[in-house]
Amino acid sequence: MQTLTRSLHNLWVIFKHEFALYFISPVVYILGAVWVGFSSFIFILYFNQFNQGMSEPTMSGTMGFLSTWVLMFIAPAMTMRLISEEINSGTHELLFTAPVRDWEIVVGKWLASWGVLTVFVLITGLYGLFLTWRGNPDPGLLLANYLGLWLICGVTLTVGVFASSLTKYQIASFLVAFGLLFALIFIYYISYVIPNQTLSDIVNQLSLQNHQNKLFREGVVDWADIAYFVGMASVFLFLATQVLSSRRWRS
Amino acid sequence: MIQVEGLTRFYGSYKAIDNISFHTEPGEIVGFLGPNGAGKTTTMRILTGYMPPNEGKATIAGYDVFEQSLDVRRQVGYLPETVPLYRESSVWDYVDYMAALHGMSGKKKSDRVGEVLEMVGMIDRADSMVESLSKGMRQRVGLAQALVHSPKVLILDEPTIGLDPRQVREVRELIRTLGEGCTVLLSTHILSEVSQLCSRILIINKGQIVAEDSPETLSKRMEGAIRFSVRVRGAAPADVAKVVKALKNVSEVHLLDDGVEIMSRGEDDARPAVAAAIVKKSWDLIEMKSAGMSLEDIFLELTQDEPVSDEEEN
Repeated sequence: MQTLTRSLHNLWVIFKHEFALYFISPVVYILGAVWVGFSSFIFILYFNQFNQGMSEPTMSGTMGFLSTWVLMFIAPAMTMRLISEEINSGTHELLFTAPVRDWEIVVGKWLASWGVLTVFVLITGLYGLFLTWRGNPDPGLLLANYLGLWLICGVTLTVGVFASSLTKYQIASFLVAFGLLFALIFIYYISYVIPNQTLSDIVNQLSLQNHQNKLFREGVVDWADIAYFVGMASVFLFLATQVLSSRRWRS
Repeated sequence: MIQVEGLTRFYGSYKAIDNISFHTEPGEIVGFLGPNGAGKTTTMRILTGYMPPNEGKATIAGYDVFEQSLDVRRQVGYLPETVPLYRESSVWDYVDYMAALHGMSGKKKSDRVGEVLEMVGMIDRADSMVESLSKGMRQRVGLAQALVHSPKVLILDEPTIGLDPRQVREVRELIRTLGEGCTVLLSTHILSEVSQLCSRILIINKGQIVAEDSPETLSKRMEGAIRFSVRVRGAAPADVAKVVKALKNVSEVHLLDDGVEIMSRGEDDARPAVAAAIVKKSWDLIEMKSAGMSLEDIFLELTQDEPVSDEEEN
């Protein structure tokens, strides 16, 4: 019980520190501008040109674009600093000698980055309000759309946190995260050329892309998809913690 | 308070520290003295829970540094060699974050942060950005950070390095006052620092502890030894060295510009024998001057690779 209270305290402290740190640098405002710029451009494009004002395909199209092409850049840019910068400036020595566990450092930092992206997702809530004002979209579908986008933000950020634990160079961390996310999103293309059906299915299931369609297009919250998100996030957070801990042995 | 037994740590195949053992009593200020690269930082990092040892065991206040790392970190305040600072933070926020990481919260936390900033004399700079501080002030903030959770053990890695003389004195003064009530282990390669501050000295070289005692006893250890210089007319210093070296009780001979410096150790004072030998050679002995032994000599003596021989040129 005491362990749990302490962990929650530590997570909260690290979250608060990191979250506040985001808003000191201009990077987060630039990323916010990119996020809003791209998403509103796509939203207007879908709404006017392709769908003649139909809300469902407009929403799922915008979400699909954000969760792949935009997040592929935004998530690595959000997380590249998180651990790399601590190692580069030596401040990880403070964390390593403070009474916090390595996983608390990793998870606290990840939650902070997710917190910022939650703000981003809330901003895109304006599109939902707009559609509701202009038409009569299914509120359940809208909510599922936003839930899906929010979850995918969380998952892609764990990939970024993992990449950030690998190196003290922020750019390297960005590129690794970008590459991993690109692979994770588009791996399903490979499944088309795999003759073995089972193997093809497995590769297909690994793809992030494949677990968002039901949420975005049909508004169906499938527990298999949720399990995939939780599983992926846990794997990358676990790996990040292992890499961070290994620095104690290597340095 | 600190118990270290057979601590060994490798970096790859390089042995940074080799079978180190020592212990400290509560309330003691212990100086960890050694040349750069001797293993001081490595030992300290193990004691602070930063890294685990490869072999051996260390406990702080009864907690094992490896098995009960979190408990150890609660007992220890640590000032690393280069004070790691979050550049974007203010002094207050920085110390406040450290206090929070040590489990403090609410009024208790803010009271304590104010208290330690007061102690290190940085309270009027609490709103300054850490980035804008001078090296001496950063060191103070580092100390505040190390003290904020009222640790039982304070581990300070080169606390006065890179400071100007006035700052050095201030920081030393701080350590002396702050050290009251907790055990302090500080590393340095400045000898005067340990003799001023510490009740006990551990001299470490090439990963091993080569001496452990109080500054006074360490000096006494060298009491049997006498160092003196000799100036002779009618012979080159090298020739004098050759003659003197053959004598009993002469342990070391160094060449000087116009004479030789002799270290005598053993049952008898070597000075009469040296004088007699020179006279016997019909050289003129024009000066014989004794030089005291300082901690510096002990340190050099203990940390030298090989004894300096008469081949060494000055």
